[in-house]
Amino acid sequence: MVEHRPVLTALAHAVLILGVLAVAFPVWLAFVASTHPSTTFLSGLVPLWPGDHWRETYGQMFGTGISTSGAPPLGLMMGNSLIMALSIALGKIAISILSAFAIVFFRFPFRHLAFWLIFVTLMLPVEVRIVPTFKVVADLGMLNSYAGLAVPLIASATATFLFRQFFLTIPDELVEAARIDGAGPLKFFRDILLPLSRTNMAALFVILFIYGWNQYIWPLIVTTDERLYTVVMGIKRMVDVADAEPQWNYVMATATLAMLPPVLVVVAMQRLFVKGLIEQEK
Amino acid sequence: MAAIELETLGKVYPGGVEAVKGVDLAIGDGEFVVLVGPSGCGKSTILRMIAGLERVTHGEIRIGGARVNEREPAERDIAMVFQTYALYPHMSVRQNLAYGLRNRRMPKAEIARRIATAARILQLSDLLDRKPRALSGGQRQRVAMGRAIVREPAAFLFDEPLSNLDAKLRIHMRGEIKQLHRRLGTTSVYVTHDQLEAMTLADRLVVVNGGRIEQQGAPLDLYRHPATTFVAGFLGAPAMNLFDAAVEAGALRVGDAVLASAVAHPGGRVTAGLRPEALRLSPDAGGAFHLDYVEELGGARLLHGRIGGQAMVAQTAVEAPVAERMALATDPADLHLFDPATGRRLG
Amino acid sequence: MQSRRATFRSRWLPYVLLAPQLLVTFVFFLWPAGQAVRQSFLREDPFGLSTRFVGLDNYTRLLQDPGYLNSFQVTLVFSVSVAALSIGLALLLAVSADRVIRGHRSYTTLLVWPYAVAPAVAGVLWWFMFNPTIGILPYLLDGLGYDWNDRLKAGDAMILVVLASAWKQVSYNFLFFLAGLQAIPQSLREAAAIDGAGPVKRFVTIVFPLLSPTTFFLLVVNVTYTMFETFAVIDATTGGGPAQATNILVYKVYQDGFIGLNLGSSAAQSVVLMGIVMALTFIQFRFIERRVQY
Repeated sequence: MVEHRPVLTALAHAVLILGVLAVAFPVWLAFVASTHPSTTFLSGLVPLWPGDHWRETYGQMFGTGISTSGAPPLGLMMGNSLIMALSIALGKIAISILSAFAIVFFRFPFRHLAFWLIFVTLMLPVEVRIVPTFKVVADLGMLNSYAGLAVPLIASATATFLFRQFFLTIPDELVEAARIDGAGPLKFFRDILLPLSRTNMAALFVILFIYGWNQYIWPLIVTTDERLYTVVMGIKRMVDVADAEPQWNYVMATATLAMLPPVLVVVAMQRLFVKGLIEQEK
Repeated sequence: MAAIELETLGKVYPGGVEAVKGVDLAIGDGEFVVLVGPSGCGKSTILRMIAGLERVTHGEIRIGGARVNEREPAERDIAMVFQTYALYPHMSVRQNLAYGLRNRRMPKAEIARRIATAARILQLSDLLDRKPRALSGGQRQRVAMGRAIVREPAAFLFDEPLSNLDAKLRIHMRGEIKQLHRRLGTTSVYVTHDQLEAMTLADRLVVVNGGRIEQQGAPLDLYRHPATTFVAGFLGAPAMNLFDAAVEAGALRVGDAVLASAVAHPGGRVTAGLRPEALRLSPDAGGAFHLDYVEELGGARLLHGRIGGQAMVAQTAVEAPVAERMALATDPADLHLFDPATGRRLG
Repeated sequence: MQSRRATFRSRWLPYVLLAPQLLVTFVFFLWPAGQAVRQSFLREDPFGLSTRFVGLDNYTRLLQDPGYLNSFQVTLVFSVSVAALSIGLALLLAVSADRVIRGHRSYTTLLVWPYAVAPAVAGVLWWFMFNPTIGILPYLLDGLGYDWNDRLKAGDAMILVVLASAWKQVSYNFLFFLAGLQAIPQSLREAAAIDGAGPVKRFVTIVFPLLSPTTFFLLVVNVTYTMFETFAVIDATTGGGPAQATNILVYKVYQDGFIGLNLGSSAAQSVVLMGIVMALTFIQFRFIERRVQY
């Protein structure tokens, strides 16, 4: 702020408060809906203030799920989402840091080819090649398995590039000092590169955990077994009830809980999150 | 400790650039040898080949009599101090010192003993648990040296270790390195572009130029008897005056002026070298020296001027009189003569 | 490609390190992509018993298919609307957040969390709000005399998916604009103020031009986002309807391939989409090269 203009500052606050409210409103409505009995939604208008039926709604969801709309208990779906998100995040970080290490710290034939092959994955989002990818996973017998949920998604050009970018900033002399100190490539990786990459790995983890948790189309097509449903796709199954209005209180309870873990991760690790997001695009 | 021998050592980079062209150098056990030269002269490449960080294109390196060309850096029993110190940023000073020893599976007690000794010598004892980012430039430099000392290697290799320090600290650390060498007596190879640092530290000075050794010897010998115009101009500050001149009947002439007589040279065109402090000037309206400007150094004064159209710098006492035109004389013993075509010393 | 001087030597280690990434890349990216390209030149008979090579026939049919051309148009309207809306709102919020001194970190926290909400969930939230019988927004619109029905009216359905997609994307754009604004040296604004430029004039003549690299970058990213990641928003809300009004290109690939089982056409659509992503990626990387000079 260059000069003192209280009116402009007040206007800025007003814009921000409106923005915060607008952003929060849909989520507030979802939460409110989850605290009312399903009969409320027959009467014509959704309430704007929480009711007292939340114990029953969440109890039912965590207990048995809603078999009529094909949704398993919430605990199971959230557990599946957690497994999928962690596998994808950790898997991407692991294979990307290894590839970046190979590309930056070694000279070998086909190095450029490897780099370009990884780069190409950037241009092939899963949505674009969904049918043939499904066929490959089916042929490999990976449908309805955790491996089928996670492995096809763990190749990552962005994570590889992020690590590569970071590795290029590591001074040559540090590598040489380590060589003189008797560290071979693997020892250098473990003792020096990994500890130095901690912040980058954490920042990337935040982004990738959200990415993994929020996967939708992939779990939707590779799982038909209810025991493998993730929470985000479970909502879709609950909404898709033939010829009837969805049971909104249960749908919204599920939506609320589906949002909770990734939102908590972002809020709790805001600094790492911003770093991961902004550096990913460099 | 060990002697290091380089035999017709050469380095050609993949692009075809020949950085080092057949260098022969024998470094005695316990000797402190400084490789000095302008940037890009190949001195760092020589050092890095000794360390094993750069592949040898041709020739041989022997440490303690054994050929080491094919050995990994860690297998050469050398330690290196880098210009940027290259401390591991995530490790404490103690861990930095211990890392190379741990990798060699040295017993813990021995590691602790060596760290304690090195820390005492370098006054690092209170800093052992700090991370490098919590240290000053001078302290980091000492940790880098400590990392070399604890190894108790056959040789220390220094790659411009003081270049990242400010002038005052550089002079102080220069003294510390000198003392350290006197105390430990470890064979040391030291690379710098700073001729003053080179002069003060070296047992033996090796001037490198264009990938070749230009001249080597005791610092004072090189200063007094530079073998080429390059060495003559490189060593000493302010630099030696080098100018075109002729010898006629024992007299050194620049244009009409005679700078010295009884010069031992049969006659002909030469490149003459005179250090600024070897010139004696006296005010003289008909003198050959035309004064341009004066630089005060405090203890002395530099007179910048021209003689016969060629630049010339003279160092005089502050009390000495100064005039626009001055006469100029020198002792033939202070005169250096070089072949104008090859730059080699005559006589 | 940038390189470094100090490297390690090993004949086999780099290949071992690269193996997992390359294996996944090959099996789940390159092979399926290749299959899509191959499939796009083939046609199966209705019983799936035999396939034959049909050359470019799948592509020419596609280009003559009004449904496909409609999908292109829908995608364009959708992408541009989402990008414009989310970039505009994000810029407004970022400029405001940059102006307030007190509480600007709290505002940031309160504005960025929707990034973490799954697109599918975002879709369901807005779908609920716009529910024609019980939703709060149709109720309010009814008060204004508008009869909202996203299940029957094409325009309403488009507005619904645009709002849901933009709502989620504002947080992302906000963060980049805020970072961009904070990178503008304070001295520059002070100099402009001394030169007599008021806050509005400063924004138009100094701040916005300096943000133009960020804006352009976000434009590309947002278009990419709306073309691919919003699949979930569409699937969880309109399902491409009503009457194909929100059937964007990625959604059509899925529908024709999985539901319509028209593999040849779906494959040809995949190939077209790959071409579009390549173009977008190319623009993005060209731009990043330029951005280095700023």
